[in-house]
Amino acid sequence: MTSTATLREAPPVAPVGAPGQAGATGAVRGPAPPPDDGVPRPYGTILAFLLPALTLYAAFTAYPFFRTLWNSFHKVLPRRSEFVGLENYATLAGDELFWRAVRNTLIWASTSPLFEVTIALLLALALYAKVPGARFFRVAWFTPVLMSYVVVGILFVWIYNYDWGPVNAALRWLGLGELARAWLGNPNTALPALIAVTTWMWTGFNMVVLLAALHSLPKEVIEAAELDNCGWGQKLVFVILPLVRPTLLNLVVLSFIGKMKIFDLVWITTKGGPLWSTETVSTYVYKRAFEWSTFDLGYPSTIATVWFVIVLAAVLTLTYAFRLREKLEY
Amino acid sequence: MEVLRRSALLLALSLYTAFAAGPFVWAAMMSLRTTTEITRDHFALPIPAHFEKFPLAWFSSNYSVYFSNSAMIVLSAVLILTIVGAMAAHCFARYRFRLNRVLYFLIFSTIIFPPQITIIALFQILVQYGLYDTKAGLVAVYVAIQLPLTIYILETFFARIPSDLFDAARMDGYSEWAIFWRVSFPIALPAVATTVILNFILLWNEFLYAVVLITDEANRTLPLGIQRFMGDQLEDTGMIATGLMIAIVPVILVYAFFSEKLIQGMTAGAVK
Repeated sequence: MTSTATLREAPPVAPVGAPGQAGATGAVRGPAPPPDDGVPRPYGTILAFLLPALTLYAAFTAYPFFRTLWNSFHKVLPRRSEFVGLENYATLAGDELFWRAVRNTLIWASTSPLFEVTIALLLALALYAKVPGARFFRVAWFTPVLMSYVVVGILFVWIYNYDWGPVNAALRWLGLGELARAWLGNPNTALPALIAVTTWMWTGFNMVVLLAALHSLPKEVIEAAELDNCGWGQKLVFVILPLVRPTLLNLVVLSFIGKMKIFDLVWITTKGGPLWSTETVSTYVYKRAFEWSTFDLGYPSTIATVWFVIVLAAVLTLTYAFRLREKLEY
Repeated sequence: MEVLRRSALLLALSLYTAFAAGPFVWAAMMSLRTTTEITRDHFALPIPAHFEKFPLAWFSSNYSVYFSNSAMIVLSAVLILTIVGAMAAHCFARYRFRLNRVLYFLIFSTIIFPPQITIIALFQILVQYGLYDTKAGLVAVYVAIQLPLTIYILETFFARIPSDLFDAARMDGYSEWAIFWRVSFPIALPAVATTVILNFILLWNEFLYAVVLITDEANRTLPLGIQRFMGDQLEDTGMIATGLMIAIVPVILVYAFFSEKLIQGMTAGAVK
């Protein structure tokens, strides 16, 4: 941390900016503002407060980001790199494994939010209706999200085990033994099985957020609805849902983004198999960069860049679509 | 009728609780049983309880190393994050200057970045700087990835502190630094605690960056250690369960003492 003395001085002249933070240096120019305008603008102090964060941001977020973009137009070998133009992008367009991974990830990211948020809403409404032991339920349901994906992954490898996993054990106990299968070993069931895992993990989290939103609803509105003789169903559809809608949409976007990034769970449980049925973009990038001994970091950077654009576009579209619907309805 | 509906509801909720907490309880039970016992019946109660398995897992594998690595890395990262993040958040919330919103937005927008967009280059950069496969390198990266969320949570809080307080402090002759350290920061302690707990949990569980940036056995964090442990003891279900529980214990402890704070932290980003 910088010493207090340098901060108190706060020189009005532009101090030397950190390398790599375009713009920040531009902001420190200019005379010190009059002290009486109520809006303090001591640029030296501002810079001193921001410098550590901006340096870290520049060195470990902004620089790597641009370097990845640069990589994507090059063949990057351990000792040298050569410019290849759009070659990586052309290869990517025809890379079936990549598109397979994109499809898997998009299936995951578009189905999970629906499961998570819907179940979470039902649970939150149940607790909102003043069930005894609500506090206990809330704390218990939240636990799965505290465990790391590594722990959860190992747990669910056991849970889906063919011979003694609880899922198959339950099926056999119910006399549905013919439905028992190696859930993670079968290309048809592996992805749904993993989607179930993330749903298990994140529903409690969504529930807690929704419950908080429900509790912050204005009491008068709900009471007014009750005076108007609204039943539970009507109250839910016409009063509560529209009011918690922003939170719901927020959660959908949040869950979507989370699943677009998913790596750990897949890596621990299936490593993308069997037959690429659970390959996600994250695992594929990792494999291309660090597992397959191709030593080229350029191509995986291209995947990362294209994926970045896809994620960004998807998130912006979602946000925009939700905003638009909001406008249309009110 | 009402009673019937109530109990049906309670039953459904209890079923969901079993579903949500079951895997954890199951693992906890297995962590106290030997693999031979587990093979006989996977779902029996841990009677007699083999508590000696915990020291065994701790000493027979490298768990003490993984654990202290994780503790060291995560705690340093959280400490740096708190100070650096609070300084930046205070600055964004307190001072008006050109580029304020631009810089804030630039930092904040990285929340939605998929990690792949930086991770390959981070690997190259750390190799270049001699930080690859070091604890310091991982700490720096951890600080960088959690910085946006930390600043976001703190900025929201700092912005709500009435500015009269600062004017009064200034009249008392406080320097800008003293205002931050002795006025803003203490008032914001609830929000600071939230970010500390949130960052602790998220980084304690972090796997992707660790697996890319750490290879040496001596630098492995717990999630990497568990993965390794599982590879080594593939058939020894009982021992792996013990290993899992050791990794979960710190999180459970934090949860036991700060469950409300923790829930607040985890959900802070989601509610506007």
